[in-house]
Amino acid sequence: MHLKSAIFWAVALLLPAIQCVHTSNWAVLVSTSRFWFNYRHLSNTLSLYRTVKRLGIPDSQILLLLPDDMACNPRNAFPGTVYSNADRHMDLYGENVEVDYRGYEVTVENFIRLLTDRWEEGVPSSKRLMTDEGSNILIYMTGHGGNEFLKFQDSEEISSWDLADAFSQMREKKRYNEMLFMIDTCQANTLYRQFYADGMIATGSSEEDESSYSHHADNDVGVAVIDRWTYYVLQFLENEVTSLQSEKTLGDLFDSYDVEKIHSRPGVRWDLFPGGEEAGRNRRVVDFFGNVQGVEVQDQNSKDSLREDLESLMRLVKDYEDFAAAQEKNKTMMHDAMSQRGIVQKLQVQQQNQQKAVGSMRLKKENLSVRQITGVALLAGLGGLWYLGSKVVI
Amino acid sequence: MGLLRSSLSNIRTSPRLLKAPPYISLLCFLGGIIWILLLPLDEYSRRTYISENALLPGQVHTYFHGTEQNIFRAYRHEVAEVLEVQEHVQQDGSKAYMKATPQHRNQRIRDLFGNSGIKSAVQSYKYTVGGQDFEGENVYGVVHAPRGDGTESIVIVAPVENFEGQLNTDGVTLLLTLARYFSRWSLWSKDIILLVTPDTSTGPQAWIDAYLSQHDPEMVASLSLKSGAIQGVICIDFPFRHSFHALHISYDGINGQLPNLDLINTATQISAGQLGIPTLLQSQHLYAKPEAQHHYLNRLKVLGHGMRNQAVGHSTGAHSVFMPYHIDAITLTAVGDGREDEMAFGRVVESLTRSLNNLLEKLHQSFFFYLLLQNNRFVSIGTYLPSAMAVGAGFSVMAIYLWIKSGYEQREEKDQQHTKATEHDNGQRDRTEAALADASITNEQLFNTESAGGIDLARRKVWKPIDRPLVLPLTLIAGLYLTSLIPLAILVTAQKGALLTRTGSLCSVLIMVPIGLTFVLSNNPKLLHGTYFDGAPLEKQGNGAPRETGLVHSDLSPPSDSKTRVLQFHTILKSLSLLVLGLELTVLATLNFSLSMFLGVLCTPLCFAGFYKDSSSRAVASLVAVVLFNPFVVANAATLAAKLAGYYDGSVGLTDVLRIWLEAVSFGWRVHGAYGVPVGVFCVWLPAWTVATLGTVSSFVMDEEGKVEKRVEKVKGIAKDNLTQVKQAAQRRSSPSPARKRKK
Repeated sequence: MHLKSAIFWAVALLLPAIQCVHTSNWAVLVSTSRFWFNYRHLSNTLSLYRTVKRLGIPDSQILLLLPDDMACNPRNAFPGTVYSNADRHMDLYGENVEVDYRGYEVTVENFIRLLTDRWEEGVPSSKRLMTDEGSNILIYMTGHGGNEFLKFQDSEEISSWDLADAFSQMREKKRYNEMLFMIDTCQANTLYRQFYADGMIATGSSEEDESSYSHHADNDVGVAVIDRWTYYVLQFLENEVTSLQSEKTLGDLFDSYDVEKIHSRPGVRWDLFPGGEEAGRNRRVVDFFGNVQGVEVQDQNSKDSLREDLESLMRLVKDYEDFAAAQEKNKTMMHDAMSQRGIVQKLQVQQQNQQKAVGSMRLKKENLSVRQITGVALLAGLGGLWYLGSKVVI
Repeated sequence: MGLLRSSLSNIRTSPRLLKAPPYISLLCFLGGIIWILLLPLDEYSRRTYISENALLPGQVHTYFHGTEQNIFRAYRHEVAEVLEVQEHVQQDGSKAYMKATPQHRNQRIRDLFGNSGIKSAVQSYKYTVGGQDFEGENVYGVVHAPRGDGTESIVIVAPVENFEGQLNTDGVTLLLTLARYFSRWSLWSKDIILLVTPDTSTGPQAWIDAYLSQHDPEMVASLSLKSGAIQGVICIDFPFRHSFHALHISYDGINGQLPNLDLINTATQISAGQLGIPTLLQSQHLYAKPEAQHHYLNRLKVLGHGMRNQAVGHSTGAHSVFMPYHIDAITLTAVGDGREDEMAFGRVVESLTRSLNNLLEKLHQSFFFYLLLQNNRFVSIGTYLPSAMAVGAGFSVMAIYLWIKSGYEQREEKDQQHTKATEHDNGQRDRTEAALADASITNEQLFNTESAGGIDLARRKVWKPIDRPLVLPLTLIAGLYLTSLIPLAILVTAQKGALLTRTGSLCSVLIMVPIGLTFVLSNNPKLLHGTYFDGAPLEKQGNGAPRETGLVHSDLSPPSDSKTRVLQFHTILKSLSLLVLGLELTVLATLNFSLSMFLGVLCTPLCFAGFYKDSSSRAVASLVAVVLFNPFVVANAATLAAKLAGYYDGSVGLTDVLRIWLEAVSFGWRVHGAYGVPVGVFCVWLPAWTVATLGTVSSFVMDEEGKVEKRVEKVKGIAKDNLTQVKQAAQRRSSPSPARKRKK
């Protein structure tokens, strides 16, 4: 009885803590350009990678897509490193980078397959976005784009319609709870124009017919090392979102955009988010950038179901206690104790129901009834044998 | 529809419009020249810009300073020993001045390469042009990119003697210092080849030919050390020891080919933008003050220099020989006296090499066809090409005009007869000529209305289509163009000593060609008139009856009198010649714009010179034109102009200048494959000049009507004989002739 009440209170106390509806955080970070002079796109992405990792999203939940290897480019004056700042304080490449898609694997097809999780068999889980309806996803893309398209590897492009359809499919498949889409490219804001799936917040670096600019160049590396918008987003994340406990909201992040500094007009799209701008602004930054692990409680919307759940839980506890008591007496077995309460029957009914729901297709109907009869007869025979056998032994 | 058609043919046959083409053609010529003169204006030129994203010019810090300067000084000492004339004190105390042998020099350079850990090799070559030997030995080293794949390379060249023949000691030293410096970096994605050549013309040519295995093994040795595809070439020219003021960028290649504009822009942006060293083009420092470079006249001068270099198509430095292989190259020359030292030069080369190192593919984004006006202003092909095309079109317009003109003659006829004749004609002309026949009717109507005032309506002037005999003019034109290859071959294969005398005799022979042709034609009227004769007497030919001419079956009658025939022959000849000229110039404009433009301008007077029998003033004017615009006269005038402009010093005579030029043409043809000037003069200009002269001389010689007429009478006699013979032959034949069959 003591144990029973303890579990009940534990669950009851947990309830108010679960405000946040998502249970996992995923990040898809994509650089879409090759070539040495696009060094900054790689460092943009790696900087984001470092940030989400800092805020706790594990490598298994980060999909990093890097089309070129700047660290090992012969033109790199600092072999094996990538820096996003001319002060070269921190090597972004470092020792613990897990690149999931590299080189020519970064294609539009693979990106859409990744989003919608339509793979042939045998694709390793490290390359898959294994999200569910409780996952919050951060998608960051950077590269060279134009009006409603983004170039991939200088050879193909993804359009805003492709992205919109892929996200809608994700919605249909319950692959995410909420999503934050960030894009840093020329005319970035056009990329999320066609989105129509619910639960999305989108933000981009520049308006239509506007370029996005690089922030500064490292004159020893000889190339621009980071883009302006990403630079200031990162600055906010570094300075304001120092830990998972940060209460900074997306509203704060977007308010930190300064057109003077960014040299282009960033945009935000709220209308697809349930509750619109008001709700969206109150989402915490760490809900997307950090790893906030909530506990999922099924049917938590209805109090009755919760009560039923608690009751069944208590029943289970009672069963266990009964079984333990019976075992102490060494009189009967668990199976008997359960059959006494008809639980076995219940389970069987449930199994039958499940079979009906997802049963495999039968090809021949006549055979089915014959087989069923045969099966029942066989089972009855075996049951009789077993009963007789046990009697005989005793 | 009918109304439209008749109004259209009215326009087409309007006498005013028919007189227009020569003016249109003149307008084309003037328009083309004015167009060029407009180009230096801000409205027609553009600012330069970098098209290739990968270049990232001036985005790197340069570190070629400090201790590298000490190394430069040490190297200069070493290099000067083997490059410059050295004073040796001999055992007896007397002084001797000696220069190291090329082998000794190259060994020293190889030693210096070796000290820096750079692999090196030598290559010897020997060209023989006109009995003169050009011998030498290249030496080069390859800095292998430590992390690169060795499929691409950048070449840095320092000729021992620069284009002006000055010793490039500091240039070679800089190259060796940079070689050492570059070999210590690990950021190269391409190999760096460092080449030292004895001169700017034969050495680089031999080297690049051998590098691409395009060399003649008899003359040029193969390379023992090679690297990847060459992405860019920088030539260093530093022919003095003091600090300099600016860098001069030379970019003209063989046959007027140019490097990608991005390379020049990158050099300018790095030098003038990043490092603050002004850049100059086309010897600007000799005529334009730095602050006045944007003035119209100075820009025009740069344009003119550029066009001259392009038209001549000869080497302007070590970079020129790379262009025919589509390798972008420039020469950087230190000029002036200023505050920039050799290290600053080195930093420009360093930064430029870093930019080229960033390339991912060959330079292709920017222009290959452009005219520069200033180091940051250019005219693209779309803007300048119309001028050469207009000039080319001027010749074509004139050719078409003459062609149409040659197909008609003006006749005075009685009204009734004429109507009959046209009806008769209408029935027999083929379809294409039918339209022109319409023209003749409407034209007649037009004359009709015009002369309604009081002139006798029964007699009027009518344009009648006539047959064009083409055999003789076509043969002549084809012959002239084909034989133009002979003087070309004679000139370019001449021995050095015989060059001038050969040209002299060539000149006198070629001048005699049109005059001789005129006399041949005027003394053999059968040549000129014979093509019309098919056996029918002259009088009968005038009635418009169809007949078979020599080669072509035609329903049209030939010209009615010998005067018109002579005129028609010259018109057709001129038309064909201008047609070919117009075509040649337009094609050439796409290959070498400047050459086409210069040739077009020089041929313009020839377009209007020709056979003017009726107007003696025109005949005299065209005589003046053909005398003045003879290639040899122009060449001599040019030598005089060059002499007066001070390009050559006092000791060089006019004939010497001509000799130097001829040698350059011969050398360029044999070593560099520079075909522009010889082909332009002998295959474009000379045939056009010959035809124009033929016409002009004929208008003087053939003036004696009686002489010609007498001959024609004689020919008529022959024709009658022929006719009787043909008749006899026809009688002998039992079966009908194919011509008769066709008539049915």
